[in-house]
Amino acid sequence: MAISESARPGTATRPASFAEAPDGERRRRPLRSYWPQYVAVAPFYILFLVFGLFPVVFSVVLSFTQWDGISKLKFVGLAQYAFLVQDPRFWTSVANTLIIWVISTLPMLFLALLMAFILHQNIRGKGFYRVAFFIPNVTSLVAVAVVFSSVFSDSFGLINNALTALGAANIPWLSSDWGIKVTIAVMVIWRYTGYNAIIYLAGLQSVPTDLYEAARVDGASSTQIFFRITIPLLRPVILFTLITSTIGGLSLFTEPQVLFGTGASASSAGGPGDAGLTIVLYQYVQAFFNFDFGYASAIAWALFVLSAVVAFINFRLLRDRDDAMGDRKVPMFQRRRAAARARSRAAESDAVSASRQTREEVRS
Amino acid sequence: MTATLLPPTGADTAPARPERAVGVRRRTPVGTVVTHLCLIIGVILSLFPFYWLIVMSTSTTGEIFGYPPKLVPGTHLLENLRNMLANVDLLSALGNTLIVSLSLAVLVMLFDSLAAFAFAKYSFPGSRVLFSILLVTFLLPGSLSLVPSFVLMSKLGWVGGLQALIIPGAANAFGIFLLRQFAAGAIPNELIESARIDGAGFFRTWWTVAIPMLRGGLAFLGIFTFITAWNDYVWPLIVLVNPQKQTLQVALSTLNSVYGTDYGQVMAGALVSVIPLIGIFLIGSRHFIANIAAGALKG
Amino acid sequence: MSISSDPDLLVLWYWTRSINPNLLDQAARQIPDSTKRLRADVVGGNYDSKLRTSLAGGAYIPDIAGVNSNCSLYFPNEERFVDLNPLGGSELKSQFYDWKWQLGTTPKGRMCFWPMDTGPTGLYYRNDLFAKAGLPSDPDALGEAIKTWDGYLDVGTQLRKKLDIALDINAGAVFGCYLNSSEERYFDRQDRPIFSQSGSAVRKAWDLAVQAAKLGVTGNLQTSNDQNAGWSSGRVAGHLEAVWWGPILADTAPDTKGKWRLANQPVKPGNSGGSFLMVPTTSKDPQAAFDFIKWLTNAENQAKTFNTIQLFPSTPASFTGDTLKSDNSFYGGQEYQTFFRKAAEQVPITYVSPYENLCAPFGSELTNVETAGKDPNQAWDDAVAAVDQVLHKRGLV
Repeated sequence: MAISESARPGTATRPASFAEAPDGERRRRPLRSYWPQYVAVAPFYILFLVFGLFPVVFSVVLSFTQWDGISKLKFVGLAQYAFLVQDPRFWTSVANTLIIWVISTLPMLFLALLMAFILHQNIRGKGFYRVAFFIPNVTSLVAVAVVFSSVFSDSFGLINNALTALGAANIPWLSSDWGIKVTIAVMVIWRYTGYNAIIYLAGLQSVPTDLYEAARVDGASSTQIFFRITIPLLRPVILFTLITSTIGGLSLFTEPQVLFGTGASASSAGGPGDAGLTIVLYQYVQAFFNFDFGYASAIAWALFVLSAVVAFINFRLLRDRDDAMGDRKVPMFQRRRAAARARSRAAESDAVSASRQTREEVRS
Repeated sequence: MTATLLPPTGADTAPARPERAVGVRRRTPVGTVVTHLCLIIGVILSLFPFYWLIVMSTSTTGEIFGYPPKLVPGTHLLENLRNMLANVDLLSALGNTLIVSLSLAVLVMLFDSLAAFAFAKYSFPGSRVLFSILLVTFLLPGSLSLVPSFVLMSKLGWVGGLQALIIPGAANAFGIFLLRQFAAGAIPNELIESARIDGAGFFRTWWTVAIPMLRGGLAFLGIFTFITAWNDYVWPLIVLVNPQKQTLQVALSTLNSVYGTDYGQVMAGALVSVIPLIGIFLIGSRHFIANIAAGALKG
Repeated sequence: MSISSDPDLLVLWYWTRSINPNLLDQAARQIPDSTKRLRADVVGGNYDSKLRTSLAGGAYIPDIAGVNSNCSLYFPNEERFVDLNPLGGSELKSQFYDWKWQLGTTPKGRMCFWPMDTGPTGLYYRNDLFAKAGLPSDPDALGEAIKTWDGYLDVGTQLRKKLDIALDINAGAVFGCYLNSSEERYFDRQDRPIFSQSGSAVRKAWDLAVQAAKLGVTGNLQTSNDQNAGWSSGRVAGHLEAVWWGPILADTAPDTKGKWRLANQPVKPGNSGGSFLMVPTTSKDPQAAFDFIKWLTNAENQAKTFNTIQLFPSTPASFTGDTLKSDNSFYGGQEYQTFFRKAAEQVPITYVSPYENLCAPFGSELTNVETAGKDPNQAWDDAVAAVDQVLHKRGLV
């Protein structure tokens, strides 16, 4: 995990507890003086120990067994993992997941940012737009399934009917490799753009409005403001959405399941040619159609490793970009603390240095 | 405030004007029209499936799957609702779902904001290790825990009770991570410092300083937790064994049958389950307004 | 551990439209000839995962449960279910279709999965479109024309040639229907795979389905939206399916009422779907549970069930007398109940292995052939390899 890096002792100066005395003194402070902080973070860890840990340990154990859900557990050592590495369907699911993740996440987050930026301004009817863009996220999945299938179906879908009417060739949305992936990505983008925009919008509330005014007075265009103020100011929130979209994207399941339905048979999971078979969908098929809980657990742990690697790369890329920006040597999470008081004007100074940086980059 | 703003002649010297002026001043009419045009296309794409849900819930199964598809609402809404109500104890299901979703939203906002505030603004021994653990749990596969969780709940005697849906989810890594990222930028350290000088302890600072500044993030988290709990289905299906105590999605799922499903009924149920969520969003999203406290600090 | 502690209350799990609600209401007041009452809980969603979780957790298990046509999935754990033969089941064996009885009997010969409804199959077809294409449109004449699968392909080819429409939705439907009417399936009774032997039933079904796809007899419609649109628009003129599909079709394509007929499936009919009832060993009173099952599935009550929710009886005696009513208007007056009763008499005895669900690659490779034009031999080899790999992992070869 990328985070453990910041926890490694000695990599950076340990910042002082904000409201307390500097480092030297802090070390002498008795542990119990931190009780409010421990109490504050305790609920999550207690709940995890009681309700979360046992299932996790159980699924680790399961991945070393053959189990159909009812019979006695049969230990098989590393056999599930050995099968996993040479199971072509598993690797297909990994490739599918990564491709769909890339073609959905990037456009989605960019559109969401743009949407939040526009809705943050004082345009007419923004309350209405906000609700309208959020509705895909709450629209019932049973309805979404029928609608997307009606729109994208190969022979009788609305899009292909329109293409026929225009004299164009039909696109096999739900039976060709790329058609399926694009359709699933469209579904993801459709459902989650508004959702991410709302997160950004909530994040933008903390951005002082005078900063925008200042920029406008300076003659900055909307595009400049978007790239030089909005994006830099939202960095922590963007990081959050990037990480959650990564985790969400890598555990993509609902959309392909809804599109092709696993209700009827395991063979239809993921659609023709397994083009929409994602890792979690494959895991679901193994667990609830093949009743191979051992193998399903092994797939789950492989996904965990993959997610950790991708999350690590995410953090890594963001940190490297910080370095490139010159004034940010400390990794993301420490930077904020290390910069303690200087960061109190975080919004303004960050934005300014970032925009200056951008300007310089543009000039050079 | 002495921060250097884009031109040094920034906000500090600019006279306070009504917010509206900022956006309108520089935008040309053409630009406004284009913006709204783009937004309206987005709205149509966003709302189309929802509209279709309305069409389907007012139609019969035959109309829903007819060809070519019918794009205007039908006349069978009342009939569909009546059939749905004959099969589903809607009132009790709505009540149970409301209890679960509201409790979860409140508990998650409470516990997650406390933890997020502690992680974002205080350094205490072990804080980084604890936060790393939190992020790792975020990556843990959740989809396989049905059987062990069920065993756990049956040992606790919670099977069939709504607490089995509420307590395990009362604090989560998602919300703590989210609010921590918000708190990182939104809460100026000076405010915490001055609260300390005023003699406020951690919890009072959290209540008086952090909560107001995190309003946007909290509102999002509350809405999102509510919606997730409202639509949750896999775990409630397993753990709620008492037909008198079902959540809405579990109750609605019984309308599907391998021997033929009345889709008009299913869609009427889906429509009924979606409307309260739009209400919750309307209520919650009022909090996505400019951060008052932050503005006050500036003055 | 049972789900309810009340000793006089038996809890049953089932899914919507799988049991006659009137009979459940009656049993909720009092199970006939018994002092017990019944609580029937409808379970939605993935029924099997809920049932399995309860069985795995050993807690909150119903006293009686419905099981779908995939009951053989529970064969490896048959010790968890009560053998209903000693409780009085064996005396009733002769009252049920033998092939249905055998489907619920475990490899060790225990009757753990009691017959409820059945799914004899036939060819649903659009009589008007067949007439338009100049093909035999009368059920008997068409049945004669498609007595063999070659005849079936021939009729389908002509439909394609004359009206450019399909006889069935996709190759998978033909594949499945062929296998459902075959004595031999993927595995033998010792659960040894036999699909890759030359001349196996699976291979024959595969070749037939590939042929149907190639000739355009099937319409390459893979999503349910396309399929429904296909039937309601008349671009698909038929479907090989079980009796329970009729009401679904009538709901989906109401405008086609009166235009459909039923013809005998080529060679012989099969069974698709149908469900069972089982009593877990944790049941608080297995004898009382069985007495309820016995009552629910007697010939008279199965006839009532057919009249209320159109589930097809597993007891031939349900058809004697005049209790059975059916509305034949969707089939232009053709007696569909009589049609399927005759079909039910010819369904072969077969063995469904608990491991058939591992054979899903045959279905997906067939789809590849139909949608992407994959070479059928390559697809067959890939399917066999994929299934072999999984069977090997599960220690079944």
